[in-house]
Amino acid sequence: MNKTLRLIRTMLKMQYSMTGKSSGEKIGYVLLGVFLIPFSGIIISFLNVTVETLYTQLAPSGNENAILGLLFAGMTIVLLFVSMSSILSSFYFAEDIEGFIPYPFYPYQLLAGKAAAPFINLYLTSGVLMVPILTLYGIHSGAGFIYYIYALLLFVVFPVIPFTIMAILLMFFMRFANIAKNKDRTKVFAGLLTFVFIIGFNIIIRLNQNPTQTAEGAAQLIAQQNGLLQVITGMIPPVYFSTMALQNAENLNGLIFLVLMLTISTGGIFLFLTAGQKLYFKGVLGLTTGSTKTFDSGKAAKKIKAQPVFLALLLKELRTIFRTPTFFMQIIVQSLFGPVFLIVILLFESSSGSFGALSSLLEQFGKKTSLLLLFIFTLFLLGVNPASYSSVSRDGRSWPANLYLPIPAQSVIFSKVMTAWLINLLSIILLAVVGLTIIQMPPLLFIAWITLTLLASWFTCLVGTALDLNDPKLNWTDEQEVFKSRFISLIALLIEIGTFGFFVLLLWNIDTLQSLWMTSILLSLLLAAAIAISHVALQKLIRTKFLYTR
Amino acid sequence: MITINNVTKEYAGKTAVKNLDLVVPDGKIFGFLGPNGAGKSTTIKMITGILPIDEGTITVNGHDIASHPMKAKKTFGYVPDSPDIFLRLKGIEYLNFIGDIFEIPKNIREEKIEHLTKSFGIFEALDDHIQTYSHGMRQKVVVSGVLLHDPDVWILDEPLSGLDPKSSFTLKEMMREHAAKGNTVFFSTHVLEVVEQLCDEVAIINKGRLQFRGEMKEMKEKFEADETLEKVFLELTNHE
Repeated sequence: MNKTLRLIRTMLKMQYSMTGKSSGEKIGYVLLGVFLIPFSGIIISFLNVTVETLYTQLAPSGNENAILGLLFAGMTIVLLFVSMSSILSSFYFAEDIEGFIPYPFYPYQLLAGKAAAPFINLYLTSGVLMVPILTLYGIHSGAGFIYYIYALLLFVVFPVIPFTIMAILLMFFMRFANIAKNKDRTKVFAGLLTFVFIIGFNIIIRLNQNPTQTAEGAAQLIAQQNGLLQVITGMIPPVYFSTMALQNAENLNGLIFLVLMLTISTGGIFLFLTAGQKLYFKGVLGLTTGSTKTFDSGKAAKKIKAQPVFLALLLKELRTIFRTPTFFMQIIVQSLFGPVFLIVILLFESSSGSFGALSSLLEQFGKKTSLLLLFIFTLFLLGVNPASYSSVSRDGRSWPANLYLPIPAQSVIFSKVMTAWLINLLSIILLAVVGLTIIQMPPLLFIAWITLTLLASWFTCLVGTALDLNDPKLNWTDEQEVFKSRFISLIALLIEIGTFGFFVLLLWNIDTLQSLWMTSILLSLLLAAAIAISHVALQKLIRTKFLYTR
Repeated sequence: MITINNVTKEYAGKTAVKNLDLVVPDGKIFGFLGPNGAGKSTTIKMITGILPIDEGTITVNGHDIASHPMKAKKTFGYVPDSPDIFLRLKGIEYLNFIGDIFEIPKNIREEKIEHLTKSFGIFEALDDHIQTYSHGMRQKVVVSGVLLHDPDVWILDEPLSGLDPKSSFTLKEMMREHAAKGNTVFFSTHVLEVVEQLCDEVAIINKGRLQFRGEMKEMKEKFEADETLEKVFLELTNHE
C-alpha cells in the first residue's frame, strides 16, 4: 500500500508540479483563481434559481426527488464523458507509462497511479455541479445534518462507477480494437468529440437563457413525465440508490441505500483493478508500432520534387501542425471554433425567426457603423491566433536546425507568419460564406470587409510571431506546454484590440465621416501603418533575437 | 578547413571555452576529444552557427561563420548529437527538405537518396514518420541528409553513437573516403577505440581549454610508448 501511495504521489507530481514554471506563470494562476470567484458566484446564483423553481413546482405533488434523479443521471453522463478523455490521456497517451513499466510494480499499482489524475478531473467536474446543487437542494428542502453527511459520502463515491465502466470499456477497446496503433488519430478524434460537446453545451445554454422560465418548463415536463424519469433512474442503479439514499436520509431506508451505494462502488474499484490487470498491459504494450508498408524506387521518385526554399519551409510548418494532434487541436480546431460556433448560432437564430433582426440591424446602422462593427468583431475572432504565437515555440528541439542550415532567418520567420496567415484564411473563408449566404451582406460592404480582414489577419500574424520570437518556449517535452499557461495570447489580443479599438472608436465618433469608401480607405491606411510598424519590429527582433533563441 | 581563432564563450558567468585556437586541416579525419562538459559541444555549436561567439573568430573553408553565415553554412554538413528533429516529417520528406535548402537538382536527389538510404538500410522506412524511427534510424536519416548535399566539411557530434556495427562501419568508410578526397572531417567522440582506428589527428579539450593537438603518433610518443590511449587520455584530462 505504501508503495502504491508513493507511486500515486510521484505520478501526480509529474503532472501537476509547479517547478520549472516561471513566477509570471504562477502569478497567472493566482489571477485566474481571482477571476473565477465572480464566475462561480454567477454559476451558483443560476443554479439556485433553477433548484428553487424546480423545488417549489415539484414539491406540492411530491415529485421533488426528481431533481436529485435528474442531477445524478446527468452527472453520470457528464462523468462518463470526462472519464473518456482523461482516461485516454492518462492511460494511453501520457508518455510516462513506458518509464514505469520496467519497475517492479504490480499492474494494479500502476493502474491506481494512473487513475489518480482522471479522478482529480472527475472530482473537479462533479464539484462544480454536484456540490452546489446538493447543498441548494438541502437548503430548500430543509434537510437535516444526516443529509449533508450522506451527500458528502455520495460525492466521494459517485464518480467510481462511471469511471469504472468507461475505463473497462476503453481498456477492452484498446486491447482488441488496437486503436492505440493510430495513437495520433485517436487523440484528434477524442479532441474533436470534446469540441462537439462544448458547442452542443453552449447551444443548450444559449437556448436557455432564463433559468426561471426554463426551470418552470422543465418542472412541468418532469411532473408530466415523472413515470419516465423513474424508469430511467431505476435502470441505472447508482443513480437510483443515490437518489433514494438522500431522499430517505432521515430514516433507515436511506441508510440501506447508502450502504448499497458504498458496496457497489467498492465492488467497482475491485472490478476496475482486476479487469485492469488483465486488459491494461496488453493494450498499452502494443503502443509502439512498426510499419508494414513497402517502399520502392518508383514511390520514392514520386515523393521527391524540387521546390523553392520558402515553399519547402511552409510545407514543413503545415505538415507539422496538421500531423501533431496537440497542434491540430489547439491551432486548427480552435481557430475554426469561433466561426463554426457563430454559424451554428446564426442558423439557430434564423430558424427561430429572430434572425431577420440581424440583417435589418446592419441596414439600420448605416454602412460606416456596420463596417466598423464587423471589423472589430473579426479582429477579435482572428486576434486569438495560436498559429502565430506558437510560431517559434512549436519547433522545440528542432529549432537549432534553423541555425545551422543555410536558410536566411527572414525566410524561417516569414514562412511561419505565412503559415499562420493561411490557417487564418480558413476562418476568413468560413466567415465570408456566412456573410454572403446567411447575412446576405451588400456586395460593397462585403468587399471592403473582406479586404480589411485579410490585411488585419496579416497584422495579427506579425504580432503573434513577434511576441513568440521575443520570448519563445523551446524546451518543452510535451506539445501542450507550448500553449499551457502562457499569457502570450492575451498580450497579442490586448495589443491588437487596444490599437484598433482606439481607432475604431475614433472613426465612429467623427460625424462628418459617413461614406463606406472613406472609412475603408482610412482603416486600410491605419492597417498599412500598423503592418509596416510590426514589420520593422519583427525585423529588429530577427536581428537581435533569432541567433540568441534557445 | 576549419579555423578557430582565439575563441572564448561564457555561459552565465561560467567559462565554457577559453582562448581556443585550433586548425582542422583538409584531407584529415580530425577527432575532438574530452570528458563530459569539457566544451566539445559548445565549440561545435559555435562552429555551426548555433551559438554566437563571445570573442574570437571561426571560419569554415575561409568563410567567417559570424559575418558570412550563409556562405559558411553552405560548405558544411552537420550531424547534431541528438537526431530528434523534425519528428513529424516522413524520412523522405526530411531528405527532400534538405534537398530544397541546398538546391540539389531532382535527378541527383533521387539517385543519391536511394543509394544512401539503401546503404544504411533505411530505404524501406522512408515513407514513415521520423517519430516512429529508433534512435539509430534517426541518426542514419540525419547522416543521409548531410551526405545528400555533399559538403566539403563534415562536422559530426558523436556520430557513431546508436549506430549498429554495419552502419557504423559504413559511416567510418565514408569518412575515410571523404578525407582521402582532400576534404575535412571533424568529429567529437568519447569512444577511444574509434579514435584509435579512425583519426589522423586529435585535439583534446578539458574545462574549455585545449590540452593537446597533434597527430595520433605524436600523442602516443609524447607519453610512454606502451601506454594505452585510455591512460594517455586520463592523464591529459585528469592530472593537471
